[in-house]
Amino acid sequence: MSRDEILEPGLKEKLSRQRDQEWRKALRRDVSAKKRLESRRHKMPEQPAARRATNFLEVNLGYSLEMAREEAQRCLDCGDPGCVSGCPVAIDIPTFIKYIESREIALALATLRETNGLPAICGRVCPQEVQCEKNCNLIKAGKEPVAIGHLERFAADYVSSDDQTVIESACGQAQGEKIAVVGSGPAGLTAAADLARLGYQVTVFEGLHLPGGVLTYGIPEFRLPRFILNQEIDFIRSLGVEIKTNFLVGRTATLTDLSQAGYRAFFIGTGAGLPSFMNIPGENLLGVFSANEYLTRVNLMKAFKFPEYDTPVPVVKKAAVIGGGNVAMDAVRTALRLGAKEAAIYYRRSRVEMPARVEEVKHAEEEGIIFNFLTVPVRYVGDDRGRLKGLVLQRLTLGEPDTSGRRRPVPLPGSEFEVEAELAVVAIGQSPNPLLIRQVEGLKLGKWGNIEADPVTMATNLDGIYAGGDAVRGGATVILAMGDGRRAARAIDQWLRKC
Amino acid sequence: MNRVVLAERLVPNIFRLVVEAPEMARVARPGQFAIVIPDEKGERVPINLADWDRDRGIIDLIFLNLGVSTRKLARFKAGDSIQAVVGPLGRPAEIGNFGHVLLVGGCYGLAGLYPLAKGFKQAGNKVTFLVEGRDEAFIFWEDREKKISDSYQKVLRADCFASGDDLGKIISQLKVNSPDLSRVVVMGCSYLLFIVSKITRELNLKTMVNLNPVMVDGTGMCGACRVTVNGQTYFACVDGPEFDGHGVDWTEYFNRRKAFLRQEEQALSSYLNKTLD
Repeated sequence: MSRDEILEPGLKEKLSRQRDQEWRKALRRDVSAKKRLESRRHKMPEQPAARRATNFLEVNLGYSLEMAREEAQRCLDCGDPGCVSGCPVAIDIPTFIKYIESREIALALATLRETNGLPAICGRVCPQEVQCEKNCNLIKAGKEPVAIGHLERFAADYVSSDDQTVIESACGQAQGEKIAVVGSGPAGLTAAADLARLGYQVTVFEGLHLPGGVLTYGIPEFRLPRFILNQEIDFIRSLGVEIKTNFLVGRTATLTDLSQAGYRAFFIGTGAGLPSFMNIPGENLLGVFSANEYLTRVNLMKAFKFPEYDTPVPVVKKAAVIGGGNVAMDAVRTALRLGAKEAAIYYRRSRVEMPARVEEVKHAEEEGIIFNFLTVPVRYVGDDRGRLKGLVLQRLTLGEPDTSGRRRPVPLPGSEFEVEAELAVVAIGQSPNPLLIRQVEGLKLGKWGNIEADPVTMATNLDGIYAGGDAVRGGATVILAMGDGRRAARAIDQWLRKC
Repeated sequence: MNRVVLAERLVPNIFRLVVEAPEMARVARPGQFAIVIPDEKGERVPINLADWDRDRGIIDLIFLNLGVSTRKLARFKAGDSIQAVVGPLGRPAEIGNFGHVLLVGGCYGLAGLYPLAKGFKQAGNKVTFLVEGRDEAFIFWEDREKKISDSYQKVLRADCFASGDDLGKIISQLKVNSPDLSRVVVMGCSYLLFIVSKITRELNLKTMVNLNPVMVDGTGMCGACRVTVNGQTYFACVDGPEFDGHGVDWTEYFNRRKAFLRQEEQALSSYLNKTLD
């Protein structure tokens, strides 16, 4: 079975059926392709860099209706929409965009919701440039791709939705069987939403005191405001999903306990919660943090409002962040907003290999973040009270490509140099949180401690236990986690009802 | 939200809350802790489980009244609701039949030792309590702990940093008198954990300490609670909180506990100003 077959049986036919509708034909007739190709991609309005570097308000301000409509008009509504195959959850992108062109924003959102439980979030945090927008046919015409992400965000923000779409299962409606979802991050929430729409009684168990997983503790408010996240979570609750916070599966109850309590199937979406360190000298000095701790203090515990909120976070003059991914960008821009005079990235490869979203890197540069490429810390230096005062770094050069296809960084002997910093945040990746998955007897794990699951159905080697997101992938994106959740929901349905 | 069924001051600086938490009470084991969030703006505070009742679905939380979070908790009355309580967290203490077990406790550590004593007793050990405190007024649960142990001794010194000598003498004597004494477990303030580990190291007596480093999530996600034991870094919240006291890097442990001292003082003065208004 392929991704598209389990997600959207008959996807191609559905897309062309939609495209052949009269209103779509009329739109294509009304505005010629030539005219559509004339206008340029609309820039996302943003807070000025100097102002936003001092606050935690969202950087992007969102399109107006007119901007969104004009941007939607750039879409050629082509017969072979590459964007859809670039989307891990196979959103019917042309349809939702053409609804925006027709000012039918509620219908645009309904289209998004059919396949995506969290459009306001995806519109903000998806790496569109390597997914849908990368496959936009406008690129072949020498133009910038349609701003699909910005349009998705627009539709989700512009209208509120009370969509209660029921997913038609080949097995007929489920009879309210109980299903447990472990973890309330993007994978878990998506699986839960789809299972509820299939007719199951779904409980999501969350160990922390707020739902959302990495969306809550990891992604800062300046990228994803909490009221947006809360709206999306409320929407999922409105589908009948119960979210039980402060319940750590693995400690408060085991899967066996839950199974005895009547849960018939499980989806494990426990994420990649175990931070990696480099095991270099000085890593336990005061002032050296994992990105998880630093961001959790600020995002989950609201330390940026200390002392109104009780949890503190260090406020420093010079901050160093190790890594080149989205988490590193989030950490370094957080340090800047907390008042650092100098906030710098140290990344061991060069600019082109950075895994962070292009928009985050651009925003960071505009805000004055300093980027140091081809450098890696070799030790941390402390003062006589055990507090960090600097880093010793080594320069690297790029050698032959490694297994990831990126050129391997090779240390340059004798190139060590020291920089001052009172805060260092290690953002070099996480591995799956071992707490639950190590205690599930017989569960097959991969070499990084990740759960092994079928790439299409997300079934583990144990009957009735499915898994997805970073618990399987080790460190991927929100949207890939959501794709896993969607496919797992359908596979659970098929497994439970033997159809 | 978790309802408080009983709130009391045990000694001048230590408070007890009995809280409804049926799911936790069902599976709690000695040596584990809960994370408690007093209110919407509160921290996640780790507190040792002092007791639980599976049938009534309640747990006992006993804590030293020190910073903002514990001051907030100390104001709770029976019938109030706490924002959140999650657990049981951490690995349970290692309980087996070791012959004779010495439990050394001080301050809030007296609370966490109680379920340990029950566990060790059940496993067939002889259990001795050695309790350290400023004076009689700071000792609690003496009756309870006498009831479940084979012997109970106290060291009372106004200056707790001077108690090392007395503790050393008593532990050495115990070792002489009781050859099957093969394990010590310590709970309480950092200095007590350190000094007892130092004493027992010289006596070559296996000693487990219940560490209490700074924590945030308490579920293994953030690494705030990093401790070095026998040269290796562990996360106390998931790998501990019980560790081999002879292997702990105490300098680092003392230091990391002070990570936010300045902010904690700032938070406390801001809180006190607010509550006095």
